[in-house]
Amino acid sequence: MTIALFSDIHANLPALQAFFKDVEARNPDSLYCLGDLVGYNIWPNEVINEIRKRKIPTIAGNYDFGIGRASNDCGCAYKTDDEKANGAVSISFTNEIVKDDERAYLRTLPAHIKVEFQLNNDKLNLLLVHGSPRKINEYLFEDRDEKSMLRIMEQADADIMCFGHTHKPYHRIMDGGVDGQHHFRHAINIGSVGKPKDGNPQGGYVMLTINDNSSVLDRESLQVEFIRFDYDIETAAKAVENCPLPNAYAESLRKGI
Amino acid sequence: MKIVLFSDVHANLYAFEKAMQSIDAQQPDAIYCLGDLVGYHIYPNEVINEVRKRGIATIAGNHDAKVAKLTPEKLAEGGKNYAYSLIGDSEKAYLATLPAHIRLEFKLKGQLLTVLLVHGSPTSNDEYLLADKDEAEFIDVFTHANADILCFGHSHKPYHRVLTNVVDGQANYLHAINTGSVGKPKDGNPQGGYVVLTINDNSSTTVKNSVAIEFIRFDYDVEQAAKDIEDSPLSNEFADMLRQAY
Repeated sequence: MTIALFSDIHANLPALQAFFKDVEARNPDSLYCLGDLVGYNIWPNEVINEIRKRKIPTIAGNYDFGIGRASNDCGCAYKTDDEKANGAVSISFTNEIVKDDERAYLRTLPAHIKVEFQLNNDKLNLLLVHGSPRKINEYLFEDRDEKSMLRIMEQADADIMCFGHTHKPYHRIMDGGVDGQHHFRHAINIGSVGKPKDGNPQGGYVMLTINDNSSVLDRESLQVEFIRFDYDIETAAKAVENCPLPNAYAESLRKGI
Repeated sequence: MKIVLFSDVHANLYAFEKAMQSIDAQQPDAIYCLGDLVGYHIYPNEVINEVRKRGIATIAGNHDAKVAKLTPEKLAEGGKNYAYSLIGDSEKAYLATLPAHIRLEFKLKGQLLTVLLVHGSPTSNDEYLLADKDEAEFIDVFTHANADILCFGHSHKPYHRVLTNVVDGQANYLHAINTGSVGKPKDGNPQGGYVVLTINDNSSTTVKNSVAIEFIRFDYDVEQAAKDIEDSPLSNEFADMLRQAY
């Protein structure tokens, strides 16, 4: 079966609409959203409602968690004073424009979804989280020490772990097997629909294909495809510039940073 | 959030179409299907393809899991197996890779609340968790599966039972929810059925009535669904079962 996974839309409606157009043409068997629907642009309510309308199983991102509780903390790890000041504007602006019903939806999103396959009499667990299984706002970057990454997945009983949050897509396969028995685990960052940060301004998502021979014993038995799509970046960037949000967020969209 | 759970369509396209109309009108935030798309009726591909087209997250029922194991000889036997012989190759491949369970982990007010979706029971897609199950045994099922709200189908008899598990003097309320059947109800009511589960900010195992569970029944053309069975090589008894809901 094919499973489309998307994340980190961040209130970017033109990107979400282009994503739906692209993904619907590929006819996935199911679709999951890994959170961060809101923040950094002007369409949080519209993004929430497009996702609700399609009844897509969705988990909470750190920004959703913050806005759901009308908090002024999105749990983002801003480094510089400029980033912190911009971040404060974004969360306060988002809190101002998100409506009650949409806020309630964000508040009751699940934190994780685990899809438990039993193929060939063996289990294969697909865990969907926003940041990490331990924390909604933990960044799992590609260069993380392999032992640490494997330990996180073992503790969460995840054979395939999909997450977002960093907006930088990657697929890493690690063999955590013991005594000569392979146990391949897949860490998959699915990238970002509405705020990519890997230098490519196109929106991105992942298509996962599970076959009847998919197994932790076979490294190549899982198909992971990273899809990038064009969208009207200028409209999204201009929307940022024409609202109280800092112009830096428009530049991020244009450059994919 | 409002979650619709439906199950046991059993290739009954008439019931399935009405279920989708009724569910769409509810405007839920998410929909899950707890399996048994096929068997007992003649429209397995139509049902599978509509579920796929809608991208509904679905788990495997015992009938769905069985299809891949049937040999060409078995499929040619007719009788009950006629219903499976109609399933196309792409549809078979879809059934063969459906997950066994889906687990939703909520963290509300800092507390974990786990909703586990299975077809029969957490250990078998062919085990019946009936309404009159011994309470202590039932609680064990929840404990072993690490579930607070357990949703399942398989018996085609809907119910909601709250189990009280006392841990260290604190009462924990566990919910067993049988979603009933869209296309082959067995509770004496021939209408199709499904469940709406509502999780609120204050939903918790420590607050007894903090999750809302609603059983919805809907009309569909039972007579036409029954006639189509009678006009097919399937046993007429299956048609009678739809009319009488047993």
